[in-house]
Amino acid sequence: MEITILVTKNITKHEGQQANSRRKYPEIYEKMVPLALGLITLVVAALIIITVGIALGLWANPGH
Amino acid sequence: MIDKFIPLISGIISLIFAFFVLARYIKRKGTYLLIWGIGTVFYGIGGLCEAYYGFFGWNPLVFRLWYLFGAILVAAWLGQGTVFLLARRKWAVALLVLLILGSLYGAFKVFNANLDPSKVVVATHTGSELSGKVITSPGVRILTPFFNLYGTVTMVGGAIYSAFIFWRKRVLLHRTIGNILIAVGAILPAFGGFFSRLQIPGALYFGEFLGILLLFTGFLRATTPMKNEATAVVVAAAD
Repeated sequence: MEITILVTKNITKHEGQQANSRRKYPEIYEKMVPLALGLITLVVAALIIITVGIALGLWANPGH
Repeated sequence: MIDKFIPLISGIISLIFAFFVLARYIKRKGTYLLIWGIGTVFYGIGGLCEAYYGFFGWNPLVFRLWYLFGAILVAAWLGQGTVFLLARRKWAVALLVLLILGSLYGAFKVFNANLDPSKVVVATHTGSELSGKVITSPGVRILTPFFNLYGTVTMVGGAIYSAFIFWRKRVLLHRTIGNILIAVGAILPAFGGFFSRLQIPGALYFGEFLGILLLFTGFLRATTPMKNEATAVVVAAAD
């Protein structure tokens, strides 16, 4: 299988031109972006649970 | 030092950030920019009130301003900007009306609350940080979780959603990165508050400082295409 890597300045111009094309970010971002999004989602879920718990009086609000 | 200069720098950065956002609003319009600009001004007010307390000590007006803008409103207003960016306009307007009414109610409660300045010393962890424990009237501090929850869900959720959409399509890398920075920046003040309650000195102010730095950086990154930005296009020829 032959693989050709093309780097374009504006990827949207080439949309649809290559039937089998598959875009990728540079490798470091391919790895880090989903990891970051997953971690942030987990943190937000935890913050929501804690905030709702405080609002419902499940545990004391020690701060603001 | 921590209780004086960190919040002072946070406040100044916030106002500079607000200038950039509002300048962009004047140039390009977009209600989301106006709302974000208002939110960053609130962030700045909170920081400058903290700095005032660090330099000059207790002042009831400064405390009320800090609590209203810094503790209650800032997250929700920043999040409301994101709502205007991502949601249908009629829903965004309806939520804005609710937010305005809620903000006015919050202002009424804060400015009519009884304060006990002695609790500042008791409540703080460095001997210098402002705290809502000063408020002794009921029904005031309970407002904070609702506003902060709304702000967290809308702002952080919106940033994550935007980053995910760009990542899924593998386009506009600068916006993917920018939104991730914005999401992290929006969470950091909450972490600062959490670690502050664990009596880690300066945690709140550092959280706010790092938060506004990342928010500002994320905004600049998202609005500035990278030089020769490209995604590698891998073309797989048929076997």
